[in-house]
Amino acid sequence: MKSLEHTRGLRKLTLTLTFRERLMQELEARRAVNRRYSLRAFAAMLGVDHATLSQILRSKRSVPLERIVPWARQLKVPPEEAAVYAAVGRVMEEQAWAREEQLRHWAAETLALLTQPVHRDILLLVRSPAFRADSRWLAEKIGVGVDDVNIALSRLLRLGLLEVKSANEWVERTGLREITARSFRRYVTERIPSTLEETR
Amino acid sequence: MMGNPVTHFQILSKRPDDSAAFYSALFDWRINADNAMGYRRIETGSGEGIQGGIWPAPAQAPNFVQLFVSVADVNAAVEKAQRLGGRVLIPPTVLPEGDEMAVLHDPQGMSFAVWRNGKPG
Repeated sequence: MKSLEHTRGLRKLTLTLTFRERLMQELEARRAVNRRYSLRAFAAMLGVDHATLSQILRSKRSVPLERIVPWARQLKVPPEEAAVYAAVGRVMEEQAWAREEQLRHWAAETLALLTQPVHRDILLLVRSPAFRADSRWLAEKIGVGVDDVNIALSRLLRLGLLEVKSANEWVERTGLREITARSFRRYVTERIPSTLEETR
Repeated sequence: MMGNPVTHFQILSKRPDDSAAFYSALFDWRINADNAMGYRRIETGSGEGIQGGIWPAPAQAPNFVQLFVSVADVNAAVEKAQRLGGRVLIPPTVLPEGDEMAVLHDPQGMSFAVWRNGKPG
């Protein structure tokens, strides 16, 4: 019977990293036997909508974790191998989620730098001879609340735009000759690729 | 100094005034922000346990609590934390009154601070 031949052929496949790649291999193996084997037939065999399967195979969406074991069974993939795919899938999902969180946070930080003038105002005051290492003084000079100053200070420290060397020695790290609204915006924008790299 | 005790807790709040009002009403804690950073120090009114503070959190951050661990050398603690898989969030920073601190992420992504008291003794 044809299906048995398939099964024997599939047993020879090596373990690949993701279940998506495994699905790819399965489809190719079937096509090697029957050139006219369609994605629709493959999808029907798995019991999934063919458009969904197509997106999965093109990495446009991930294999639903809960489908890995039933699909593996359908494809006669040994349960031990299916367990590996399921574990890999779970870890990948967790990592993708963590990375997304990190990126979301980073984007919010960068947008805050670009849209809230308090950051540049602080850096300007740090350079001024009258500077005092005092959030209340900064707040008064800038005309914002102390909390706004402190949130901005934390952000400038996190992003390395400000360094506090000693109690009264604050150093701004942009290296710009003049911190105008325009030069600051350009500085932040140009730094985007390198700071994004640091979030890895 | 012996050991590395937890000496301070810090509430990061998107609405620091509201947090201050809630905890002072609940526990009779006194909030004192009369210092250069405008830092809301929490005085629990007890010699037991540790004292704390409230720091404003940006809008996108969650509200959470950080523990401050006292160390003899902030730079050394940061380097050691990095070797162990921690990440620096705020590098060593000297506060206006001479205290030094750094904020780190542990390998699980939880943030905490290391702290060195600037006042002698």
